[in-house]
Order: sequence, then C-alpha cells, then structure tokens
Amino acid sequence: MIEEKLIIHPRPSTIVAALYTLRDLNVDVAILHGPPGCSFKHARLLEEDRLRVLTSAMDENDFVFGGREKLERTIEKAIELFNPKTIALVGTCTSMIIGEELSDSAMFAPDGIEFICIETHAGYANNTDGVISVLEPAMECGMLTDKELERQRHLLAEATNVEIRHGAASKGYLEPSRGDIKYKAAEHLIERIRSGKKIVGILNAKKETAYMFADELIALYETAKMFGMEENITIFANTDINLGLPRVKEHAKNVTKAFDERNIPIHEIIGGLDEYAITGDIIKDLILNKYGGFDAAVIAGVPHALPMDAFNGMELFSITNGPRQVAPLKDMGHHHVLVEIDLHPQTLGVSDIVPAEFGDTLRAVAMDILNDV
Amino acid sequence: MKKIIAIYGKGGIGKSSTASNIAAACAMNGKKVMLIGCDPKSDSSITLLGGKRIPTVLDVLRDKKNVEKEDVIFEGFGGVQCMEVGGPEPGVGCAGRGIIVAIETLKKIYPEYLDNDLIIYDVPGDVVCGGFVAPIKKGFVNEVYVLTSGEYMPLYAANNICRGFDKIGMELGGIICNSRNADRERELAEEFSKEIGSKLIGYIPKDPLVQSCERDGFSVLEKAPDSEIAGVYKKLAEDLLANNERVKATPLDDDELRKLSKKYSA
Repeated sequence: MIEEKLIIHPRPSTIVAALYTLRDLNVDVAILHGPPGCSFKHARLLEEDRLRVLTSAMDENDFVFGGREKLERTIEKAIELFNPKTIALVGTCTSMIIGEELSDSAMFAPDGIEFICIETHAGYANNTDGVISVLEPAMECGMLTDKELERQRHLLAEATNVEIRHGAASKGYLEPSRGDIKYKAAEHLIERIRSGKKIVGILNAKKETAYMFADELIALYETAKMFGMEENITIFANTDINLGLPRVKEHAKNVTKAFDERNIPIHEIIGGLDEYAITGDIIKDLILNKYGGFDAAVIAGVPHALPMDAFNGMELFSITNGPRQVAPLKDMGHHHVLVEIDLHPQTLGVSDIVPAEFGDTLRAVAMDILNDV
Repeated sequence: MKKIIAIYGKGGIGKSSTASNIAAACAMNGKKVMLIGCDPKSDSSITLLGGKRIPTVLDVLRDKKNVEKEDVIFEGFGGVQCMEVGGPEPGVGCAGRGIIVAIETLKKIYPEYLDNDLIIYDVPGDVVCGGFVAPIKKGFVNEVYVLTSGEYMPLYAANNICRGFDKIGMELGGIICNSRNADRERELAEEFSKEIGSKLIGYIPKDPLVQSCERDGFSVLEKAPDSEIAGVYKKLAEDLLANNERVKATPLDDDELRKLSKKYSA
C-alpha cells in the first residue's frame, strides 16, 4: 500500500468550490445545509458577487434528530426574501454524514423555482470534486450542455494535476510568504524595459482574479509606454469571450473591454478564463515558434501552471495571489515572485479592472524615474 | 418487472440467511440477482460463496482511492452478484456514513447493476440513523420487507422499523416471519401484519438444516435443494417477485403491541 501524502496546510474546501461554481452559473440563492459557521467567510464574499448564501443553521439537536425542518424553513424564507428563480441546496459535512436527503426538501418547494441539490462535503482530497458536484446536477437541469460538462471535467482534472505538480498540493506543508519586495522587483523590471529588452506579459488568470491580474499587464504596457518602449511588449491573455460558464464569459468580456478602452493590444488569446491549467503548451508554442527572442516574461495569475521549458533563458517576474505559492515558484526557478495579498476578495462583485499593488508600484517607480529625469 | 428490495429486521433475526436463500432461489429460477450486504459484519453473501468472505467496498476504499468493480463484486452460487459494504472497526467511525459511501461507489463503478432482475439489500439491525436508510434513498429501492419472529422484541423492532418507513414515506411490501417456535407464531405474525395495514408474505418454519448448511458455508438452496425448507424459500422468492402490493404502514403504539403479543402467549 502506498502511503498517502499528508497535506497539513488548510486549503479551500469542496463546499467552497461548489459555491463559486453556483455563482458562475448565475444561481440566485445557495442554502448551505449545515451549521451556521460552515464556509462563513467565502459565503460572505460571494454575497458581494450576486449569489445569496444562506444557512439552515443546524445545531446539536439537528445533528442528532436531523435538520430537514430547518432546511425547509430556510427555503421558505429564501423565497419570501429574494423571489429567486434558482435555488441550490448545498450539503456540508454535518448533513451528509447524518444522511440528510436534500432532494426530499426540494420536492416540497413551489413550482416555478429551479432547485439543484449538491451532495458534497469538505472531505474530498481535491476541491475540484466540489465543482463537479454542482455541474452534474446542473446539466440535468439544463443549465449547461453535456459538451460543456465534459470540457469542465477535463479542465478540472488538469487543474488538479497543476496543484499536485507545483501548487497547494505539491508538498505536505507550504510556508506562507509575502514574496519578494515589490518595489525592488519593479525597479528591476523598469531597468529591463528601459534597456530595450523584449518582454512578454502573460495573463494566465483564474476567472474573476483576472480583474486584478490584468492590471499587472496594463501597468507593464503603460510603464513601457512612458519610456517609449511599448513596441517591445507583447501580451498574451486567456480572455477568450466564448469559453466557460456564463459568469466566466462575462469576466472575459469585461477584461477585454478594459484593454480596448486603454488602447492596449492583446496580441494573442491563449484560452478562456477557466483554462489557466491547459494554456502551457499554447504559450510554449507561441514563444518558441511564433515570437522568440523574449528576454523576460511577466506572468500574472497562475504562473505555476506553465512549463518552465517555455521560458529558457528568460528572466521571470511572476505574480500570484497565493502566499503558499511562493516557495513552489521559487523551486521551479521563477526569479521574482510577487504576491498580491487578499486579491480574491477585491475581485468579487466587480466588473472592471481593480488596481494591483505591484502594478501601482511599477507605475509609481516609473513616474519617480521620469520626474527625476 | 425489475425489483429492488431491502430487508430490515432486528439484529440476529435471520435477515442474511433469508436474503441469501431468496437470492439463490431466484437465481435458480433463471433470474439475474444481486445481493448487497450492508452489515459491517459483512456476512450477508458468505453462504453464496462457499463460506468465503469477500473484500468489502469500505476495506478497498480504506486501502486505495479508486475502487474497481472487480475489486468488490463477486459471483456466487447461481451467478448471484455479491457485494459487501463492510464497515469501520466496532466503536470507531460511522457505519451509517459507510453505507452511503458504499452505495455511491457502487453507482459509480457499476451503474449496470440496475440491469439485474432482483437486487436485494440486506440492511443491518434497526433503522438507527440516516445512513441505514441510504439503500432506500440512494439505492433506488422500490420495496421494503421486514423480517420478524413471533417473539416480543423482534416484533417491537419490526414495528419500530415500520415507524421509520412511515417517517421517510417508504411503503412496505410485507412482513416475513422467520419462526423461532414461539406460541401460535404464524397467527400472531399474520395479525400483526394486518394491524399495521400490510400482509404476511412468507412464513419460514424453524429448521435446523438452515443452520447446518450455514455452518458449512452454503445456502440450503445449494446444499439441500430438495429439502422442505428449500421449498419454503423457493415459494417465498416466487411470492416476493409476484408481489405488487405496497402499503403505507400504520405502526402500533406500545400498548397495542403488548396487547397483541399477550393475546398469543401461552
């Protein structure tokens, strides 16, 4: 028997992954059937992003006697307060362990409301299982096609592999880190820009995080422009507006619009905003066979998903939002690793670019240099 | 018509013996049958497999993540497909959750199991928690049967189980009496069945041959197919397959049950 790797740092749970997927499907209300504190922080954040999240607030008595009555009261309240068209009933560890049957409660709901029941809990090794737990019943309800479900399965399997290879599941314990000093990295990058180096900016972001990660590339282009070097900047972005669940396509449109409004070119579309795990080969092919000659790359989003052999001989400035991602990126050979702390909460509920700390640092340092000149 | 049944009853009342003999009888009659043992003791199918234990779903899940059909489903006497859920060690973990996980695993690794003519879930003891009704809720069970004897405690448990079915809205296919040689046992079981709104679908007389065959690791259908008791199981199997009546049981209160039990005591 092969001993399973014990990963002891906390990671986002399957339940939370399920909630974000419900948000991407534009579901109106999600009811967590479990204790009131379950997934509290993400539930609150998602409320900023147009998904109402409620809890059936199971207590000790409900653990013993079952919480069906509370769930049904919560459904009634949700209908009364929000007049939803779609309601998702989401399992938690507690309700699933005691064998609560979510579909029984959905059956008693009034006509005209679409219910989907998500039988999940936080005990799965890969939180992508939470996404599948939503997509399968959602397909049965006609909220997505079987073709899209298969596409998502493939993407999720690849995303899981990325995390096992170089991400949050790559080591038993990953020390969180705030990354390199942004001011120093910005100075270094500007020096490369000013000396006429050819730089590729790569947005390889996951869904709504693109609202801030895109600002890193906007800042890169704007900074280069300040020094008359914008011709040396090439931008790749995974902003295909035709790929992904409804909300994901919306994000891609918004980010594309932001680049257009600033007259910043996206030279290559490398996939959809849910395809960060499979863009590696495309990027490698573009760099090695179409462009070539890059001296440096600025990679924002999920840099650890990209193969290092795409970047031979290049200096890498990599921006992540995961404090536990710094060590794996350094191990891979990324030279400068910057962390946008608390990026995700800032990108929920928005539809336009959110200023990034490294992006702003780059602009400010460039401005200081120009003012001194 | 395809039948997916679950047999409930007080611990030790003979559910596994009954389930395996019914499975064997139906298989001998040309039916495609699957027996799913849900007891952590994992002995429901042992008499269909010549006394051998098979790896349980939970054993395999404990050791490796990806369970394959071949790991947990084995062919027994008459081609009966046998699967055992298994469970945690006594005193640890949660056997009820184990049943839920095992049934979900079965659906994933072998969705064709529903192609069988008869699927029997042999469910442990009483309906003690949500996991123990998982065969009904998640296993697509369309009929439930309760096994009892004429003794007071098994009757009490049977009545209680019917209360559980009432709670979850499951209709009862009937009562089976596995005799313990109690006084006027058949009449008592018949009246109990009638009182709760159902019927006695089978009466299995006490026969030492059942024990003797089990000790050797066989069902009576395999070891003593021409015996009188084998004939009883064959008849019960036929009656179960032919049964189309299902009722919402109306369990008795404690006083009514005591009164009924006393009425038939010596």
